[in-house]
Amino acid sequence: MKKVIGILLVGILMMTVFVGCQSQTTSQESEVIKIAVAGPLTGDFAEYGTGFSNAAALMVEQWNEAGGVLGQQIELVVFDDKNTGEEAATIAERIAGDKDIKAVIGHFASGVAMVASPTYQEAGILNISPSASHPDFSGEGDFIFRNNTVIDIEAQVAVNLAIDTLDKKNVGILSVRTDWGTSTADITKDLVEKAGGTVVDHQEVVDGTIDFSSNITRLHSADADVIIVVGMYNTLGPFASQYKAVNPEIELVGFSNAYSQQLINLAQENAENIHFPTIFFHGSVEENVSSFVSAYEAKYGSSPSSLTAQAYDSAGIILKAIENAGTADRSAIKDEVSKLVYDGVTGETKFEDNGDAIKAFSLVKIENGQFIEVK
Amino acid sequence: MILDQLVNGLALGMVYALIAVGYSLVFGILRLINFSHGSVYAFGAHMAMVFVGMEYGIVPALIFSIILTGMLGIAIDKLALAPLRAKNSKRIAALITTIGVSYIIQNLLMIVYGSETKFFPKLFDYGNINIGRVSIGTTQLFIVGVSLVLLVLLSYIIKKTKIGLAMRAVEQNHKAASLMGIDVNFIVTFTFFLGGASAAIAGTLISGYYQVVYPNMGFLAGLKAFSAAVLGGIGILHGAIVGGLIVGVSESFAAAYLGGTYRDAVAFVILIAVLLVKPTGLFGKKGNIKV
Repeated sequence: MKKVIGILLVGILMMTVFVGCQSQTTSQESEVIKIAVAGPLTGDFAEYGTGFSNAAALMVEQWNEAGGVLGQQIELVVFDDKNTGEEAATIAERIAGDKDIKAVIGHFASGVAMVASPTYQEAGILNISPSASHPDFSGEGDFIFRNNTVIDIEAQVAVNLAIDTLDKKNVGILSVRTDWGTSTADITKDLVEKAGGTVVDHQEVVDGTIDFSSNITRLHSADADVIIVVGMYNTLGPFASQYKAVNPEIELVGFSNAYSQQLINLAQENAENIHFPTIFFHGSVEENVSSFVSAYEAKYGSSPSSLTAQAYDSAGIILKAIENAGTADRSAIKDEVSKLVYDGVTGETKFEDNGDAIKAFSLVKIENGQFIEVK
Repeated sequence: MILDQLVNGLALGMVYALIAVGYSLVFGILRLINFSHGSVYAFGAHMAMVFVGMEYGIVPALIFSIILTGMLGIAIDKLALAPLRAKNSKRIAALITTIGVSYIIQNLLMIVYGSETKFFPKLFDYGNINIGRVSIGTTQLFIVGVSLVLLVLLSYIIKKTKIGLAMRAVEQNHKAASLMGIDVNFIVTFTFFLGGASAAIAGTLISGYYQVVYPNMGFLAGLKAFSAAVLGGIGILHGAIVGGLIVGVSESFAAAYLGGTYRDAVAFVILIAVLLVKPTGLFGKKGNIKV
């Protein structure tokens, strides 16, 4: 029995050594400046996290080729949080404990990001989430920033799309039951009423649902003309296909995190005429945007989504702040970020006092299997 | 509206029935709940997706998928379960092994095909048929039709053919069947093949219905089908069918009247209720083995 316990203990010891390896591969101290990226690299939302790390890697590569920052090379450390709070909490502890890591890009979902952010705040390490849009996220502290708009601003644009641009008054809402989904749906409901529309029905589904037939039957019999879908592409895609089988005339409005090439792949011809508000439009003619898009496509073989572009800018903001500060001290970086005006692929970014970025929206729709800008 | 939901639920229920049959077949022969069955179903859907992508048409794709998934079923038995049987391991060991196998398959699918939700073309879509205010999708009719034909075929194999007789003999008593000259190992292999094949068909039907494929699609569907099998009386074929329909319809009604967030809970509420009230299931007789 003792032998078994001994072997188990050795096993556990070995495991911790191997787990530790990941973040200690190049431990020639402070030879490099480390930036962490944390997001879901496996699981349902893997492509968002992969997009974050790809985009950040591209930005870091461009800086490194130009000689790095403060004469040092930059190294990216990537963590997989599987989009779960448990993993995110562990990762946050590890990042906070590694003195070489100067800033964190990430955590994808608002709920997950808000599990990790108190740890970052406590350790005094800069955290920029490219995606968290929950109103309370940036309120966690002065080290917590978001390079994304707060949801009520985006929801207002989505509601305007539905009621003014598409000119429909009977609004149905489908939302996913997550922190983000529930609060966005509530905000959207109020905004629809204020804009002169009527919310005819609101259906809530568990994230990852693929069978929407019951919800569609309800929304359809409530005579909805337009559905605002509060969910990712993996909700919006099948929902669009199934709804258009029942009512081909239905208009759909999504949110910017459903703005992804994957949506068109998934819903094919049923994706036609879905509208979105978005900060970043990959077909834009602006020079810095098109060169980013072509560099990204050349390296990773897919086009960057809105959130990917925001991750790219987040990395740029951090590196620019280190350069301006002239030191890689964690709190000096934070001070610089709050002063910075950064001109990136998602437009000009400036953070408000509470850490929220203020951005302008473009309106995008899908036509002939392509995203095009709505004027 | 109620009739619409009933139609939605019946189509879903037929697919659960097809998956549930896989649990029942294996349980009947080996007295083992094969928890890898959900992943086998996801595997079948992925294979169909790959072959549909090669543009030979849906029927050859389905046949390839059935053969490969059936072979996966056999492989699970030969590689993971047969060695345990040979060593006379405890039943719980085999049960846990199937859970492990399920994760292996699921993760392999993620590694090979990526974890994102992928597109699957719609099967047999000729729009909707409207009867009064009720609208029935042709895809739904197709699902019900195909499942019915398959379930009848499976019942025929088990009730009327020689190999079915052998299966029933093995179900009664392994040793006696073996003494009567039945190749028990072959029967087990054949059962796993049938289970895999029915899972492949269920996976393809569901993917064609919702037009999506993803690696962990089998997890919840598998658990719900398991509830269906227990509800009908595990090991009993027609029980699995009735159980599947009940679970499908109640899920559809729960989604419509209690809200989408309760849909997944219903199957498990049924499972717990059955285990408390009538552990042998609806069609189980006294003396039948309980789960």
